[in-house]
Amino acid sequence: MNPILPIVLFLSLLFSVGGVQGEELTIEITRGVADSASPIAVVPFGTQMPVTEDMAGIIAGDLKRSGRFEVPSPQSYPQRPSELSQVNFSDWRSVQVDHLVVGQIRPGPGGDDTVQFQLANIFDGKPLLERSYNVHPQQLRRLAHVISDLIYQTLTGEPGAFDSRIAYVTANRGPGGTDYALMVADSDGYNPQVVLRSREPLMSPAWSPDGNRLAYVSFEGRHMQIVVQDIYSGARSVVASFPGINGAPAWSPNGQRLAFALSRDGNPEIYVYNLTGGGLLRVTNNSAIDTEPAWTPDGNNILFTSDRGGSPQIYEVSAAGGQPRRLTFEGDYNARPSVSSDGRYMAMVQRRGGVFYIAVQDLQNGQVRLLSEGGLDESPSFAPNGRMVIYATSEGRGRGVLAAVSVDGRVRQRLQLRSSDVREPAWSPLGR
Amino acid sequence: MKMMLKVFVIVLLMGLLASCSTAYKSPEGEAGTDLPAGQPLPGPDAGYYPGSGYGQGTGASSYPYEQQGNAPGGRPLDGAVANSDRVVYFDFDSADIRSDSRPIVEVQARYLIKNPAAATVLEGHADERGTREYNIALGERRANAVRQLMIAYGVSPQQIRTLSYGEERPAVDGHDESAYALNRRVEIVY
Repeated sequence: MNPILPIVLFLSLLFSVGGVQGEELTIEITRGVADSASPIAVVPFGTQMPVTEDMAGIIAGDLKRSGRFEVPSPQSYPQRPSELSQVNFSDWRSVQVDHLVVGQIRPGPGGDDTVQFQLANIFDGKPLLERSYNVHPQQLRRLAHVISDLIYQTLTGEPGAFDSRIAYVTANRGPGGTDYALMVADSDGYNPQVVLRSREPLMSPAWSPDGNRLAYVSFEGRHMQIVVQDIYSGARSVVASFPGINGAPAWSPNGQRLAFALSRDGNPEIYVYNLTGGGLLRVTNNSAIDTEPAWTPDGNNILFTSDRGGSPQIYEVSAAGGQPRRLTFEGDYNARPSVSSDGRYMAMVQRRGGVFYIAVQDLQNGQVRLLSEGGLDESPSFAPNGRMVIYATSEGRGRGVLAAVSVDGRVRQRLQLRSSDVREPAWSPLGR
Repeated sequence: MKMMLKVFVIVLLMGLLASCSTAYKSPEGEAGTDLPAGQPLPGPDAGYYPGSGYGQGTGASSYPYEQQGNAPGGRPLDGAVANSDRVVYFDFDSADIRSDSRPIVEVQARYLIKNPAAATVLEGHADERGTREYNIALGERRANAVRQLMIAYGVSPQQIRTLSYGEERPAVDGHDESAYALNRRVEIVY
């Protein structure tokens, strides 16, 4: 038994009591699981206490949404063990699962709950993973995501991304104008919190690599400006407010620099701003539109959208400036690059036959694959583990909804609010 | 003498204030100058709930969007200009001012030349197709096209500010070409 993470969980608890709640995103899986999905049983956690969170349900939901796992209904389980010593493995053969998760919750020290779980191979009953945690009852949901990540990593060999968050912008058009809000929710749409409300448009949220700050575009006072806000303290500072465009902020991987687009010299160019020492470096120099910068994971290069060739295409340039290199050649509109954390893939918006899709390009061999069904799809953002891409699309009557798709295109989900227009999702770094 | 100096200083300040009012001024009185980098915005106050999940900043800029029909300083616009057309429409993926739109720009340019203390914000807009930040750039291109034409008519560049909203503030809802045509526009705002 290895009690990890209590410090991290405690820290985040300080900021998560009685938040300013927004409307929850509901998630619906709109395209099925991969053929190779591995069946796993997640038994409801045993407890004698009134527990507010269905830990097993949250874990099962996470694993299902990844498309890598199938979770049969608990009604088909032959027994409800809460630890491996209680499992009669011969009874489980009929359920046809490869793995089994059991757990329990009991009163812990100082008002905390003690949560224990075990993961076992169904064939030999050998435990693959077991952990115990003491957490505040309000951290149970978060802990369930942490457990999902551990299970995912143990069984797939890749890090999970369940303990992460999504920032997005909502717009509510009313008779007196439109109300905009910058929101942050858990990766499964729960726990939506208002970061900022404005009567002026909010755009282009971007996470700092430490997950504590968001850079975004605001039109407060009818001036386009780039603001950095600490999401815990609410402290805000303006980092760019020049005449013209101040847009498309993107954090460098080490969090020390911010790339963005400014048109202060007449037309939009990519700039890099050093957040620690000040100093503004102009990276591009062209009479065309240059915007939507995205860093490569090594922090050396910047991908961006430019129409210097006549139509918007994606180029790559050194973050120190230099001669850009064109990356996209298929189609007459490729824009808004987002790079996976391993640097292998680029997601982008691609127009084909007047329809906008999310496409992913393998940066090693240049192959392009469409990921979305097409429409007004935009704003792709990679999950921190690089396995999923979240993006904005629209439903029937044009209302904005979010969708997430696995990089292989096999699993797709839709995340939507009951009433608001949702747009511009940005997936946070891992953890918080 | 001391009194005289005080009065002089006050008069001087009033003069400064009066001249400031010709700058691009929002109703809150924020002049449209650059904010220095790193300047803190108003901290979390009214919109902040202690112990909230996230500190809620206050982006409480309640600029009434439909702020038209008045010249800076609250003077009513000339009758002709007040009732005139102040929206220029554009073709798809274009920042060229159509010949039928030039008279619209010309009327406004004449007003600005006649009223050197007046200032305008040219708000550029795009339809919803394409990425949001790229559309900001397209909206700016359109606003700049109107600006160039106004300058060609003789308006001082100091009287003009451009602001692109991209696709963020559509004039009409709707997702067909008739809606898009009304959303690809520059609004000439006083």
